[in-house]
Amino acid sequence: MTLKQRILYLSAQSTDPRSPTISQAIHEPIKDSIVEIDPTITDIDYKSVHEAVIDGWKIVHFPDQRGSLSDTEIEVLGFQFILEKIEEFNA
Amino acid sequence: MPKDNELTLLSDDEIVNFITKGYHIIEPFLPKKFHTEIYKKLESLPTNPGDRIYKVVPDLQKIYSNNAVIRVLTSLLGNKYSEASHKHCHKNHPGTRSQMWHQDSLNIPALLDGNNRFPDHIKSVLVMYYPQDVESNMGPTALIPGSHLFKSAPDRNASHGNFRDQVIATLKAGSLLVLHFDIWHAGTANTSNKIRYMIKYLFERKHESKKPSWNHNSSENQRILERLEKDEAAAIQRSLIPKRNYLRMKMWNNIAGDAALKYEYHDKWAGAWPKPNNIVL
Repeated sequence: MTLKQRILYLSAQSTDPRSPTISQAIHEPIKDSIVEIDPTITDIDYKSVHEAVIDGWKIVHFPDQRGSLSDTEIEVLGFQFILEKIEEFNA
Repeated sequence: MPKDNELTLLSDDEIVNFITKGYHIIEPFLPKKFHTEIYKKLESLPTNPGDRIYKVVPDLQKIYSNNAVIRVLTSLLGNKYSEASHKHCHKNHPGTRSQMWHQDSLNIPALLDGNNRFPDHIKSVLVMYYPQDVESNMGPTALIPGSHLFKSAPDRNASHGNFRDQVIATLKAGSLLVLHFDIWHAGTANTSNKIRYMIKYLFERKHESKKPSWNHNSSENQRILERLEKDEAAAIQRSLIPKRNYLRMKMWNNIAGDAALKYEYHDKWAGAWPKPNNIVL
């Protein structure tokens, strides 16, 4: 067993980690694992970034407060937090 | 094309639904056997015919020229619209992976970024036809309601994964999904053992409308205005909501001709006081 990094992207409605999340993607440290739109899910796992932190995720990237102004030419929906969890995986 | 009075046009509320969400579903209107025959014909094609799909599967014309489709296209695009040359048959095999969220593009080099976006108008719509039932594991089309109002760069949005308010188009055979051309969408993973076909046509507005091309009732204007301001689509950041509402209003006015809505200040805050908090100080 080795320690590996799980990565969680959560986009929230504001820079406040307690604001509602709008999207989620989890990257597992497993060869050939796939992250994609899952048409079978009915909800995402965490309703806020804070909820993910309570579940043991650690924030490693906070959103740029200048990143989603309303007059930008290209829209990026939500404010993206990146979180990690270090867990044991089979090597 | 039939005259207006031969069609049951969309209502004001259905138009508001399209403006706010960016899509409209047409339920099957032909027998299932008809769609089964189209599926068989698609199965027999040795190559992708591209824009020529309408020639090699001529029965598609019976779908796209049906009044059930014309009434929606007339309502959204005006009394005169055209079928664009671009058409495409998507063949989604078992094992196909999910696409990234994207807006369609015709990759026209004469345009600055290759795209032509109209977030404040309905200039063109995609009409996706599914000749078979689409279950959630067969690679259904996913879309983000309301995203047609914003410009996306797929690479900058690639880390999103699943949106909380995404819509997964699981549909009966013969259904059509009518999309604002700019909506963010994706074909999803096909984890079933069945091929999923989707045929996509593009229709374009030919003229600006001088009056609403749908079943409009001007006595409902105040309620329409309130819906355009308040209806929720997918959750977005608060800073985009004023822009969202502006574009919704402008879209209505751009397609409504002389029935454009006038925004006048109205008091949205009068009413009951907030209820007291049950906190002991």
